[in-house]
Amino acid sequence: MGGKVTCTLGEVKNRADFIIYWGGNPAECHPRHFTKYTIMQKGKFVPLGRKGRTMITIDIRETPSARAADIALIIKPGKDFELGTTLRALMKGQPVDEARVAEIGLSLDTIKDLVERMKRAKFGVIFFGMGLSMTRGKHMNSAGILNIAAEMNAFTKFVCMPMRGHGNVTGADVVLRWTTGYPFGVNLSRGYPRFNPGEFSTVDLLVRGDNDATLVLGADPGATMPQPAIDHLKKTPTIVLDPKVTHTSKLARVHFTTAVTGVSAGGTAYRMDEIPITLRPGLKSPYRTDEEIVNLIIAAVARKPAWRPAPIAQRA
Amino acid sequence: MITLTLKQAVDGVPLEAESICPDVIAALDNAAIRALPVYLGKRQCRIDDFFAVDGETSEEIDVHGDLRKVRWIGRGMTRGRISIDGNAGMHLGAYMKGGTIDVSGAASDWVGAEMSGGLIRVAGNAGGQIGAAYRGSRSGMTDGTIVIGGSAGLEVGMRMKRGLIVIGGPARDFAGLEMKGGTLVLRSGAELRTGAWMNRGTIISLKSIPLLPSFLYSSSYVPTVMGVLGKHLGSLGIDLPLKPAAGTYQRFLGDTSVKGKGEILVWHH
Amino acid sequence: MVKITGGRVYDPANGVDGVVKDIYIGEDGRVTAEGNGSASRTIDANGMLVFPGGVDVHTHVAGGALNFARGLVPENQRVAQKFIHTPELRAGIGGLTPTTFATGYLYAGMGWTTVNEAAVPILSAKHTHEEMHDIPIVDKSTLLLMANNELMLDLLEAGEFERAKSLVGWMLWASKTFGIKAVNPGGVAAWKWGKNANQLHQPIEGYSKVTAAQIVMDLARICDELGLPHPMHLHQNNLGVPGNVGSTIETMNMLQGRRAHLAHLQFHAYGGHDWNTMRSGAKEVAEAFMSHKNLTCDVGAILFGDAVTITADGPWQHFLHELTGRKWGNLDVENETGCGIVPYVYNNHKLVNAIQWAVGLELLLLIDDPWRVYLTTDHPNGGGFWRYPEILRLLMDVEFRKAEVKKLPPEALNRISLPEIDREYSISEMVIVTSAGPARALGLKQKGHLGAGADGDVTIYSATPDADGVMFTHPRYVIKGGKVVVEEGQIRALAEGRVFLVHPEFDPAIEDFIRPTFQKLYTLSFENYPTEMTRLKHPETVGCVPQ
Repeated sequence: MGGKVTCTLGEVKNRADFIIYWGGNPAECHPRHFTKYTIMQKGKFVPLGRKGRTMITIDIRETPSARAADIALIIKPGKDFELGTTLRALMKGQPVDEARVAEIGLSLDTIKDLVERMKRAKFGVIFFGMGLSMTRGKHMNSAGILNIAAEMNAFTKFVCMPMRGHGNVTGADVVLRWTTGYPFGVNLSRGYPRFNPGEFSTVDLLVRGDNDATLVLGADPGATMPQPAIDHLKKTPTIVLDPKVTHTSKLARVHFTTAVTGVSAGGTAYRMDEIPITLRPGLKSPYRTDEEIVNLIIAAVARKPAWRPAPIAQRA
Repeated sequence: MITLTLKQAVDGVPLEAESICPDVIAALDNAAIRALPVYLGKRQCRIDDFFAVDGETSEEIDVHGDLRKVRWIGRGMTRGRISIDGNAGMHLGAYMKGGTIDVSGAASDWVGAEMSGGLIRVAGNAGGQIGAAYRGSRSGMTDGTIVIGGSAGLEVGMRMKRGLIVIGGPARDFAGLEMKGGTLVLRSGAELRTGAWMNRGTIISLKSIPLLPSFLYSSSYVPTVMGVLGKHLGSLGIDLPLKPAAGTYQRFLGDTSVKGKGEILVWHH
Repeated sequence: MVKITGGRVYDPANGVDGVVKDIYIGEDGRVTAEGNGSASRTIDANGMLVFPGGVDVHTHVAGGALNFARGLVPENQRVAQKFIHTPELRAGIGGLTPTTFATGYLYAGMGWTTVNEAAVPILSAKHTHEEMHDIPIVDKSTLLLMANNELMLDLLEAGEFERAKSLVGWMLWASKTFGIKAVNPGGVAAWKWGKNANQLHQPIEGYSKVTAAQIVMDLARICDELGLPHPMHLHQNNLGVPGNVGSTIETMNMLQGRRAHLAHLQFHAYGGHDWNTMRSGAKEVAEAFMSHKNLTCDVGAILFGDAVTITADGPWQHFLHELTGRKWGNLDVENETGCGIVPYVYNNHKLVNAIQWAVGLELLLLIDDPWRVYLTTDHPNGGGFWRYPEILRLLMDVEFRKAEVKKLPPEALNRISLPEIDREYSISEMVIVTSAGPARALGLKQKGHLGAGADGDVTIYSATPDADGVMFTHPRYVIKGGKVVVEEGQIRALAEGRVFLVHPEFDPAIEDFIRPTFQKLYTLSFENYPTEMTRLKHPETVGCVPQ
């Protein structure tokens, strides 16, 4: 458990001379990343901009991002963890088994060269995406990158950053942490916050049918989750708050159309590096905001008679 | 002997039943046992809302029924015996310090998590994170024995420090992840990334398994300590192949990515 | 009106030393000289001690760094104190990185009513204020991290002091903070390249003129010239390093004639020259400190047990991670500052930790002016803030202290002065180092005393020890702004605290300088940089008096 060594995006802009994009395709998924924050920017200490930076992609296929790279490493699918582990060993001057390294799809020399380049960097950064965090290994693939970045600090300045998904997922993470102590998958049924991914995380709860009602705000599990989860959403009371009628809305008992946050509703969004940005809605909406609807629900629940558990014989 | 028989199915919202534990129950009379709290989601209920309760003041608890969604049975127990005729839910015997738990059916995730003593036996399959550390904790189990008859899930023995885990069926990825010590026996092998980032400890696989590039072949032999282990496992009813005529153990050392001094012994005919 | 009657009042700021008298708090939440009209609530404080509410002058409870820490240590949250949701109270988790609602309950529950968050980056100040919004009951102030702000360092390099001063003024107002925090001046900027600033008089990494010493002296001067209520609050260079006594004394000498507050002085008072020869340097540091009457300090004492080190001192945290192998969090904030987090355990068998434990107590006992030295643990770096009463006991009971010293490893005994110190704190001195003194240092005139016009923040303790012979762990009553918020162990009638900030005078033309520089160096629009006043719940601006 090395830890998490990171920075805000301006540090990358001003200093990074060595940038790895691993398991992500910012050219298509984070379209302003190159131009606003990373390789195309002229930074305070990287005055030559693109020419002063080396950009490397690591992915299982050639993407538009790979085509923009100085070096595009293509590895076999499902080998990110093995590559990360090999890098950690080589970085420490430790031996590895050459035959098994070859299964990654890169030669040992290529990987050794990558380690040397990393060590020679003045400021290295690894951005890692869902190609890593959502494939076999999941959080362990991410942990691999985190450890590489932490351990590289024995040699030079090095950081990493996850390429977060759309919407204000970072904001949800930040707020949950300060109010409950945990970033996601928080269970409050015993009266205080508890955290256990796999037990309380959304997809697991829905697939197992551990909950008996669902309120969905700004997400569309009906479009992305496994069939047992979708069946469960259909079978149990589901409430959706969303500006659009989503796949989940079609399974739900109640759908509220709400104003689009950032367009007609205000608030605060947290950027992927956790910098808070005030949203400035420019348009008016005929619909209420998510916040107003949630507050109305809370008030309606508070008006209900105080709840007491029913004796077993009376349960349906 | 106290007998708990499930009378109300738990097949939706899980039931949290850390009250089913010898330390909690041993001194109580029947009425007090019936009134012990169990938690159905946010609702606090009584044990006898879900179980028929027979007996009192005993360290031996017999539980009957499909308890696959009944969690935290035997939490932190230090003595006595729980015998489950059926399946068991998550966190079975978590933080256990002593005593025995037997399950005739299957168990779920987090069996024996962070335990420090005692014996857990599951005849059927189990889930992931057996004997493991809860998220962020520096160590998993620090002693004790877990024997799973069937298969197991991800991260078996994650960060275990001492103790013994035996898995009968195949384990999934990351068996022995970040292991710090102790012994993990995989009688039917495992999927990917066994022993990832291990520091110390011994993983024994009786079937060939794929290994990370950070594990290096060392030698082939039958280590003498296997005799001791074999005897101990024999007392638990488990056979370990030991005879040099039948084969040998290939010894792999790693994980070099963390300068680890762990070993994986793979049985080879 | 609230009347507190029959209690023995300790109000050292007004010369009241254990006198039985009544305290009245008016409808406006302030102490009044006499009761006007009938009391809506009378508290019978016979057999009890009545103090002004505690003031924590240096703690880390809200914002990006603390929130980063929360995510890094789920195992701590799992075993920490649980706050169960009730119709009156929000759910939460205590421990070393408490959640926001729990933070308010914990502080109020121990009788502390004002809390100074010691480290805020401008870029994420909105985040800090959002968390402050969710901390109930206590009043709050915040300190802005400036000693590694590269816009300022660039100006100092160019010799543009006046512009740097205006910049600092602008930043304070933009961030809606209360004072200036300097952490490892130059060192955190150097850490952006993986380096540090251990020499006070050598140019900072990336600069040819600016030194750590210059940053220290210039920032202290800026704080005085802006007339901030609280002086520059300094976490010095060379924190934690054996032999840093020299650096500390030199820093004190440099600050000749200027106000300054030295943070967590314990971590800066080590003699010897490496981990093997490390010894307490508290005697030398205390002596030097006493001769510099312009300085105040808080001790940042350590207590044996778990801690989480959270500091802007990035390079030190990398070092601690490599030394201990514990997990490490690091977040560099563009152009401004950074933070590092490493969970840690202070072990009473370890020589280094034993010396650290002694140093904190030695500073409190050797510095003979309680008005200038304050009780903190640099929470959560030295230990949880709810453990302050343990330190009070060590200060007030020399027999208990000596018994605790006996538990230290024998090799520690000739490295520390604590065994020879017989001083015991009086109750009045205790009130000064936990309330009256910090309030005065912060420039919060209505805090830390019970004279007419003071905020009605009162903490009432039993005069007799509890079953374990300990005092001051659980107040009988805590009153905040005239509302009884804690009563016999129950948290009640939640008050909402205020947030103190300053609006110093600065040349508004500085914005014309900042805007294009900002657009060049940062990654968001200039309009999105300042924190809006509307984000603050119950803000109260405190006046600046240029010196």
